[in-house]
Amino acid sequence: MTARLTALHGNHACALAAVAAGCRFFAGYPITPSSEIAEHMSHALPRAGGVFVQMEDEIASIAAVIGASLGGMRAMTATSGPGFSLMQENIGYAAMTEVPCVVIDVMRGGPSTGMPTRPAQGDVMQARFGSHGDRPVVALAPASVQEIYTETIRAFDLAERLRTPVTVLYDQVIAQLLESVAIPPPEAVKVAARKWANGAGGFQPYAADDDGVPAMARPGDGHRVHTTGLTHAESGFPTQSPAVADRMMRRLLGKIDLHLAGIEKTETLATEDAEVLVVAYGITARAARRAVTELRRDGVKAGLFRPVTVWPFPERALLRAAETARAVLVPEMNAGQLVLEVQRVIGRAPPVRPLGRIDGEPMTPGEIAAAVRELARHA
Amino acid sequence: MTRSTPQGRPAADRLEIRLAGSGGQGLILGARILFEALAVEGRRASQSQSYEPTSRGGFCHSDVVVTEDLSDFPLVTGLDVLIALDQVGYDRSAGLIKPDALVLVDESIATGPAGGRLHRLPIAARAVATGSPRIANMVALGAFVALSGLCGPEALAEAIRRETPEKFADLNLAAARAGLSLAEPLAA
Repeated sequence: MTARLTALHGNHACALAAVAAGCRFFAGYPITPSSEIAEHMSHALPRAGGVFVQMEDEIASIAAVIGASLGGMRAMTATSGPGFSLMQENIGYAAMTEVPCVVIDVMRGGPSTGMPTRPAQGDVMQARFGSHGDRPVVALAPASVQEIYTETIRAFDLAERLRTPVTVLYDQVIAQLLESVAIPPPEAVKVAARKWANGAGGFQPYAADDDGVPAMARPGDGHRVHTTGLTHAESGFPTQSPAVADRMMRRLLGKIDLHLAGIEKTETLATEDAEVLVVAYGITARAARRAVTELRRDGVKAGLFRPVTVWPFPERALLRAAETARAVLVPEMNAGQLVLEVQRVIGRAPPVRPLGRIDGEPMTPGEIAAAVRELARHA
Repeated sequence: MTRSTPQGRPAADRLEIRLAGSGGQGLILGARILFEALAVEGRRASQSQSYEPTSRGGFCHSDVVVTEDLSDFPLVTGLDVLIALDQVGYDRSAGLIKPDALVLVDESIATGPAGGRLHRLPIAARAVATGSPRIANMVALGAFVALSGLCGPEALAEAIRRETPEKFADLNLAAARAGLSLAEPLAA
């Protein structure tokens, strides 16, 4: 059976993908421009034998998702910037207790209530640093309705594989964009099965295998489990030992590095001889793609590097794409966020320039092309 | 996992269409119907929407970009077609109109210098005469299809049947026919 083409809005595609990926629990608090995800899940989950709960707020929503996942279900919530802020403490809790779950953040103009119906990319650093302390972070940034479908499925796969929360970041434009999507047949949807403990005695809930990921106790299998946000030993019980804390934290953070090849995902366009490299993600990458195509037609050596996985940031892939660049431009719908990471990776040369837009309007191909031409003249 | 394209391909031919006006006029539904009408004829498009946080009023537009390249920029950059149902919709979109664009507006709207492809039609009046002021979007779609020939009237009718509630199908189809007959003499 091959994929069938169907017209979907981004948020609808997200809900369908979640159900296809085996998500059977959704708890959320509707917020523009993510509300259609909750709406579609409220129809789809009961039909699929799952559970939909509209919670009293976003703190409770992510808490319910964590509980459902600990109980053995694939679980998800969806929100926008203000709700994502409320969820941060519990996202850290899920990272610390190693509970797989998926958080969809449809970005809108901010800060605070901001511009609810307007697009933005202002949560990129919130996705990375929004929760206190050091924690493993995985965030994916689809650029089309098709990619919302595939990346939502990948988010569930990575969450299960790594036992960690995974964030999918996109914006109002693609959330409410109608595009043709190829829906793969069910047998083509691959999501890793949860790594369950085998029922043997002496079970240590946070003792990891070589892959850095501990097996999880399935409720009812008779394992003794203690789950806490306190820094804990392999036993799951709190520790004050510096040696144990260091070992457990390094394992927690290190599991991302162990699986980097399977997490990172990037796309390049015309980078092999690019003099000006544009680094863009989400809807802005599609404006950049058009700008690069038009610039190439006019003889300007422009290229595009698009991180699909924004966290962990794909450092080596960026360095490869920037090999021939004499300048780097980072357009984003914020005052300059991912540009800081690009500057950190690239270092002193070539120069890395931000191009920010914070007026609630999407970035246009024209303004990106103009900025590239300017850089090409002086590079 | 890295996907690479060696060189930028030239963008496929694009046609950029905007329905503009105020919230509550059915502009987003209108664009969705246009998207579906194109799909009926096997053509591809992206349909986007922009609105303000009020359910009635406030500048609203919904855009359809007709392109075979699904990775292309899905938003408008210069309008080949503007369909405006009120003054705010026209005024806020005027800066994007291409020189040779097809501009279709309600007769109540004051526009810039009239080019050869500017059409001021009694869209709202025809909607009221057909049965409801709320079907001006369908009248406009019918007139647009007659003027542009972008898709056949049958594809438009099929899309209306697919995208609107059954109990309003007859009214919506009558409105689209009213728009077609309004504009057909002008298209010749």
